[in-house]
Amino acid sequence: MANESTLMATAQSEWLKFRTVRSSIMGVAVTVLLTIGLGVLITTLVRTHWTQLSPLRVATFDPVSSSLRGSLFAQFAVGVIGSLFITSEYTSGSICTTLTAVPNRFRLIAGKCIVLAVSMLILGEFVCFAAFLIGQRIYLGVVPTASISNGAVLRSVILAGLYLALLALFAFALGLILRQSAAAISVFVSVLLIVPIIGLFFPQNWQNDFMRFEPSTLGVSMQSPFAPSNSFGAWSATLILLAYVTGTMAIAVVLFLRRDAGSNQ
Amino acid sequence: MIKIDHLTKRYGDTLAVDDLDFEVKPGVVTGFLGPNGSGKSTTMRIILGLDHATKGQATVNGTRYANLKDPIREVGALLDAKAVHPGRTARNHLRALAASNQIKKSRVDEVLDFVGISTVANKKVGTYSLGMSQRLGIAGALLGDPAILLFDEPVNGLDPEGIKWIREFFRALANEGRTVFVSSHLMNEMAVTADEIIVIGRGRFITSGSVNDLTKSAEGTVLARASDHEKLAAAVASNRGVVHEANDEGLTISGLTSDQVGQLAFDAGITIFELTPQRASLEEVFMDLTAGAVEYGSPKSDPAHG
Repeated sequence: MANESTLMATAQSEWLKFRTVRSSIMGVAVTVLLTIGLGVLITTLVRTHWTQLSPLRVATFDPVSSSLRGSLFAQFAVGVIGSLFITSEYTSGSICTTLTAVPNRFRLIAGKCIVLAVSMLILGEFVCFAAFLIGQRIYLGVVPTASISNGAVLRSVILAGLYLALLALFAFALGLILRQSAAAISVFVSVLLIVPIIGLFFPQNWQNDFMRFEPSTLGVSMQSPFAPSNSFGAWSATLILLAYVTGTMAIAVVLFLRRDAGSNQ
Repeated sequence: MIKIDHLTKRYGDTLAVDDLDFEVKPGVVTGFLGPNGSGKSTTMRIILGLDHATKGQATVNGTRYANLKDPIREVGALLDAKAVHPGRTARNHLRALAASNQIKKSRVDEVLDFVGISTVANKKVGTYSLGMSQRLGIAGALLGDPAILLFDEPVNGLDPEGIKWIREFFRALANEGRTVFVSSHLMNEMAVTADEIIVIGRGRFITSGSVNDLTKSAEGTVLARASDHEKLAAAVASNRGVVHEANDEGLTISGLTSDQVGQLAFDAGITIFELTPQRASLEEVFMDLTAGAVEYGSPKSDPAHG
């Protein structure tokens, strides 16, 4: 055969690998369950307690982000999917087999990133649109609802899905740097949960500055039609998160190109 | 054709490969022999572009592995049979490999059949025994029908039937004109598997040659205890034998068989008390060659080593 292997061949191979292990399937199931399931739970709770809410809560109530809240839990599931996609190659040693088939390391990572980005974007958009639409249906008649035909609303739902895809890539980059499942997942969870807690010890005026750079705060900004207080607007938040992901990925790729495969030395 | 060109690899303070320089030719089975930790696997990993050389380089067909377009169609390798995701089935593992190098799907079933694991191809690799994993690894190496094949300790974990099968398989590959490079730490295994042998120890080249050459150097000695050692030594020397050691226990003679020594003694009128052929096994030759080149040897106080 004359045609040589291309990036598409690498991506095809990686897609086959991605969908033929149980951890990916489980991760996808958990993402669906958390985003849509928690969305149903939260919106149902809001509906049943709506008449007891304070006037301030009612005035600032956002039917969009409240229906998308489940995605802030699902971010841990996509994080696990993203990091395992690369760390499982190191823990099983299959990275050597993979690299013998695709010795062009840059192409290998590009292929893996295409598979992860596309699949997680489709998954993220699917669960976020579903959670939004189901949530609005639950609110209907009792709680004010939002319509997807509104530009800011549509943007919020789309960016909520993108947030999940970007976090999967971020976790992948951490996995490529650390090459161990437990280490990568711990660091990922720390960045999302522990770092905000550290922020609480800062003086109030620093705290606001610090917290709005936090990935989960950026996520809340991305899924809100109106910028929450002390936070970035949706597009700025998206760009900042994109910068985090690109920066981490750049470090990961440089290390990957320089290191010996799998020798952990 | 594999060419190792003044290859050196350093991991921190450890010199894993030290200025190796050799070629592996097509049409024969080349054994790569050395004790554990002597740098065989490291050399193979560098050939495959997995590890970076500190100095020198390794090329396959004149090109560095990383620059090959469809590498597994040119070079097939089995380094670590267990280096497969345990949760994936054998068939899916091979399909993913095939897809990456644009090899047609039907080839996956061909190689599964060939190594004899078709019936368990849809089982997760994590459930495989080491022997089955080895067969899967061989299937992966053959997937692209490559002209160059590398196997790192392939007989590990195989049952006797599997070992016999793999020897015949290597022979067949070489007879088809392929380059077959097989590593092992077992001299006797290499003696029956390989045509050419390259011996290394502590990352350094020790010797190379055909199996016959190395076997010759493994020819044994004869221990002779007789009534007159001086006279016997003279008779041996005049018949192109060599006396290595002479003491109260007798003479250690090489270059002559025990029959020849007995005849010499008879002709010279010497009484023979004892005549013992002492055949060094290939394993002993290997031990001699690599003595001092073993990374984790027995402790010095070991009485057997004085």
